[in-house]
Amino acid sequence: MERQIINKKKRVFSVEPNKIPPSEVFTRKYTSLLVPALKKLNMNKNSSQVNQLTVKHEVDMALALSAQEFAWSRFLLQKLSSSNNPTTTTSSSSNGIRIQERSGKEGGHEDGEREEKLRELQKLLPGGEEMNVEEMLGEIGNYIKCLELQTIALKSIVQDTT
Amino acid sequence: MLEGLVSPENLSLSYADMSVPERLKWLQQHQQQEVLSLSSNDSPDLLQILQFHGSNNDELLQSTFSHFQMVGSGFGTNYNMGFGHSHEAMDGCISRTSSCQIHPPDTMGVMLKNSEENRAISLKNKRKSEVKTREEEKTEKKIKVEAETESNISNKEASSDTSKETSKGASQIQKLDYIHVRARRGEATDRHSLAERARREKISKKMKYLQDLVPGCNTVTGKAGVLDEIINYVQSLQRQVEFLSMKLAVINPELELGVEDLSVKQFQAAYFTNFPVVIASKPSVMVDVPLFLLDQQGSPNLSVSNPNQTSIDAPSESWETQSQSLFASVLR
Repeated sequence: MERQIINKKKRVFSVEPNKIPPSEVFTRKYTSLLVPALKKLNMNKNSSQVNQLTVKHEVDMALALSAQEFAWSRFLLQKLSSSNNPTTTTSSSSNGIRIQERSGKEGGHEDGEREEKLRELQKLLPGGEEMNVEEMLGEIGNYIKCLELQTIALKSIVQDTT
Repeated sequence: MLEGLVSPENLSLSYADMSVPERLKWLQQHQQQEVLSLSSNDSPDLLQILQFHGSNNDELLQSTFSHFQMVGSGFGTNYNMGFGHSHEAMDGCISRTSSCQIHPPDTMGVMLKNSEENRAISLKNKRKSEVKTREEEKTEKKIKVEAETESNISNKEASSDTSKETSKGASQIQKLDYIHVRARRGEATDRHSLAERARREKISKKMKYLQDLVPGCNTVTGKAGVLDEIINYVQSLQRQVEFLSMKLAVINPELELGVEDLSVKQFQAAYFTNFPVVIASKPSVMVDVPLFLLDQQGSPNLSVSNPNQTSIDAPSESWETQSQSLFASVLR
């Protein structure tokens, strides 16, 4: 069974043997990291309920570890290792409200608006506040891609088990 | 060769001290002398210097190169051509262009007058060797780098000579080892604004890339709108992840052992299903898959049909169909 799967994997990926597109690499890494972690969590906390935060933690950890070539992953790892509570996505809802307020305030002043938005963007990106604008814009691109792949991975995992 | 240009009057006055009309008068006085001396002495060097002054175009350069042998006969025509092109570039030359073309001998005087003061002074002061080498350097560099006309290259030359030249007009010839920034006509070309402009262009390039990346950004115009869209998109992605992880936490106890392999298979299937093309081109388009899937999803409502559910057997059918129609053929 395992050999079959491995062979299938090889067949699929050997179309371009030298080039493995980064999205595949990412998803492979991600799932290979996350699923065992979840299993471990499962096994360790058999009786008690699996805490959502810990799952979140694992999710973020898997994201950071699967994308280590990017700057934001380093910051994410730092955040994760320093505190047990992941702070990346929990503030997303409050950010939305803040944006509305700020854009209302700024009104016609274009540059101020733009700077405000850039700052918001920086807050969304882990470690974005320590980068300058150029760098941040570049990192946001691959952060978005990784987030998308992560959602696909999570969806498939969830779908698998339901 | 240059001795003819140095007159007793000049010795008493330095070039910079003379006011413009005085200079013009002085030059006009010595025109005959200059023309004679030049034509007789057959001084290609001085001619080269004068012709290369302020020459910004390849055409001019090439014409002067080809013609510089023909000192006597081609003299007037060269200057006419030269001034035809360098009108825009030279300071204060515009008002005198008409006269330039009519009187070839005048042009040289005007040229001398309009030349950089440093250069003129150095000419007069017989430091011609320095000037020559500098001019030649400039022209050599220009030739090397294939300067396009007008709007190409200007950067970080700190010398006062070139800073005077660059204070107006389109492009200038300077040291070319740095980043190429387009200094458009009428824009400031000093160091800071050039760096600013380079930075701004980089940022706008990145914004365009992000615009392609985020779905729905193409309709919005203006940086603020694009940034808005990007922010919303990132937030929605993060919320999705949060929601999914929450769901995962709920169902975690039911995780099966073969999940890892299954999910990888599903990725492959998901990649194949969305594009009715041959496998060979798959790897290159896989990155587009997330956008497609997420577009169809809209909100993170997992109870709705999910394209990831197909197994590997499905791809053969799915190559002709969109992913949504796969749900009928889901194999579990």
